[in-house]
Amino acid sequence: MTDDDRESRNSDLPADLKEERETFVRQFLRRGFEVTEEVLAESRALRQQLGAAREENAILRSHLASSDAIRDLVRKIDILEGERRELLTRGAELADSSKKSEERTNEVEQELHDLANLYIASSHLHATLSVRGVVRHMRELLQQLLGAERYAVYLLRENDIATVLVHEGLDEAPPVVVGEGAIGTAIATGKSRIVEGSPQPAGTLDSPLAVVPLRVRERVLGAIVVVSVFEQKERWAAVDHELLDLMGAQAGIALVSARLFANVSDARGLLVDLDSLLGGSTASVSAKSIPPAPPSSTPSSSPPSSAASAAPVRGDDV
Amino acid sequence: MSDFSCLVVEDSPMMRQLLVFALARIKRVVVTEAEDGVDALRKLASNRFDLIMTDINMPIMDGLKLVRRIRSDANHAQTPIIIITTEGSTEDRQRAMALGANAYITKPIQAPQVIQKVKELLKLP
Repeated sequence: MTDDDRESRNSDLPADLKEERETFVRQFLRRGFEVTEEVLAESRALRQQLGAAREENAILRSHLASSDAIRDLVRKIDILEGERRELLTRGAELADSSKKSEERTNEVEQELHDLANLYIASSHLHATLSVRGVVRHMRELLQQLLGAERYAVYLLRENDIATVLVHEGLDEAPPVVVGEGAIGTAIATGKSRIVEGSPQPAGTLDSPLAVVPLRVRERVLGAIVVVSVFEQKERWAAVDHELLDLMGAQAGIALVSARLFANVSDARGLLVDLDSLLGGSTASVSAKSIPPAPPSSTPSSSPPSSAASAAPVRGDDV
Repeated sequence: MSDFSCLVVEDSPMMRQLLVFALARIKRVVVTEAEDGVDALRKLASNRFDLIMTDINMPIMDGLKLVRRIRSDANHAQTPIIIITTEGSTEDRQRAMALGANAYITKPIQAPQVIQKVKELLKLP
């Protein structure tokens, strides 16, 4: 349609229609403008909402991330707490174990010391073949290892009388009758009598702290009597009982051996007839061929060898 | 680390053996034995010791005289001394401490007690 055609058509319309059309067009355009404005406004509002939503989303995301981190941290803290509790428990167990170990070590050290005491006592008693040496070692044992302050060693001289061989810290040590009093009873029965007390009371010869029979096998040769101990020794230790037992069992043997040896001029002579005692040549003797020792034999009842009848040797020279 | 040398002065062979046994329980401790004070002085003249342990009652020269002699010798004036005494009375002990002894042990000795004293004086763990 050309402009001329449109002009000719407008010119053909009545005037009110023309005006109405223009009004409509204006209204249409205005409405279009308004709608456009509304759409634009709505678009801006939506953009703002979108921005706000994005911001909120970002904030929520960061919150979520921090919550995860916190959860991780809490989880780690729980694990570490568990490990800490476990370590504390193990630490307590180790401390307990260490304490027990230390106590055990101390016990072992004490046992070792006790064994050393016994070993040294035994080895020294038998380290000499002189009567004087044995007595000296007995005195050392009583004083240094047992802590005896006043003591006596009795020997059975006759059938029913025991006299003192050596004493320390006592004004006198009169003979005792076998079977009478603490000393006589111990010699008669062969049983030790040890008084326990803490602190140790000071005893007397009639009521000593300890009486231990000196034995050679089943025979009683005398007694070791401890009347009192040094004040720093508050009680008998377990090793003291062992030492007293050891002295009772070995000091007598050591004394008898030393006494026998004192009558021997040549120690090699003692061994000359050893083969016959073993029942043959020592080189061919087996353990099974060694006869058991006679049950009632004592060193004093065994006669010395022919070589032993020569001039005596001073035991101290050995 | 070098070893510690200890001089044990005791006339009783039994006690000496017991002391040597106790000291042998401490690592890095080497023990020299002397029978009395004179023997100890002879050994002190030619050796240096980190610790001296001496009995009080000894023949020839007792422990108190030995402590006095040791303290008067500049070479050993600072050497720790432990005295060993049998008596329960404190008289000998006090005299020895006054003369310069550092510690004391009473007989009958207990190895753990000896070990503890020696470790203390040698500053051993």
